[in-house]
Amino acid sequence: MAGQDRPPVATTNVDSFEEPRASLEVVDPGYGLPGYWERFHATVMECAAFELARRRKLARESVAAVLSGWSRSLIPVAVAAAAVAAILVGGEVRHAADASPPLALEDILANEVGDGALQAVMSGQAPASPVAFMALVEGNVP
Amino acid sequence: MKEHSDAELVIQARTGDGESFGELVRRYQRPAYSVALSVIGKHQDAEDAAQESFMVALERLEECRNPARFAGWLMAIVRNRSRNLIRRESLRRVDEIPASASSSGPRPDRAADISALRGRLKEALSTLSEVQREIVLLHDLEGWKHAEIAERLGMPSGTVRSHLHFARKALRVQLSEWKDYGKGV
Repeated sequence: MAGQDRPPVATTNVDSFEEPRASLEVVDPGYGLPGYWERFHATVMECAAFELARRRKLARESVAAVLSGWSRSLIPVAVAAAAVAAILVGGEVRHAADASPPLALEDILANEVGDGALQAVMSGQAPASPVAFMALVEGNVP
Repeated sequence: MKEHSDAELVIQARTGDGESFGELVRRYQRPAYSVALSVIGKHQDAEDAAQESFMVALERLEECRNPARFAGWLMAIVRNRSRNLIRRESLRRVDEIPASASSSGPRPDRAADISALRGRLKEALSTLSEVQREIVLLHDLEGWKHAEIAERLGMPSGTVRSHLHFARKALRVQLSEWKDYGKGV
């Protein structure tokens, strides 16, 4: 019978979805060839060596460039910030030194209100009319 | 040892980490070969296209905008690379088992059996459309799930199931005279 000479074919498990898998193992170049996929992998890695090395170099340079960039921009910014702070603090000190001392209420009263008016208030003889009292304070008593 | 996600491996590989890139190659070398084979149909050229695609992917890793979807992005590269190979008409006329078979492969009679069956299967696969070949190889050979294929090839899951169903049906018809094969399909 013709079928007796046919090669044995591995069959696979049943597809859990609906139907048996096709037996395609023999299409796999690693079928019957131990180490085929290891050699495939080794070939790819050998070809990739140069590009991987280039990428490693690029990655190292990128890190150094970032750090260098930071230091270049951070130093001028720090100097400028210090200068601004110094100007602001100096201005505050000068402003505080130039300011007049506050006036006390007693000083205002003593300076602005005449003796006649004070005596009138203390003795209870101050005029009831605000106009007359202001005239007394300003010394315009007729 | 913790298994890293594709996204983590891609990010590390961008900095030149050989182990990460090696792991990506290990994960996707078989699916990449299957996709290339589904487009080209010849072993040696599919192998070349798959290997070159990993090189292209490494050089263009920054263009992989969503590293979590590396697999789909890689498969698109493989597909394009394979089609370019065909267009350039630089395909070698070699479609044999790799030469290394002589030292570490199976016995000669077994190798002949495998070669015969491989030829028969490839002939049957060649009757399918490219997308059907790709799906049936990824599912039945590489063991990818419907959802994985759908996501990575960018098509609805129902479409994947449909292509798979019709691809298997066509293979059954093509290979029906092979008694042993028929048991497995």
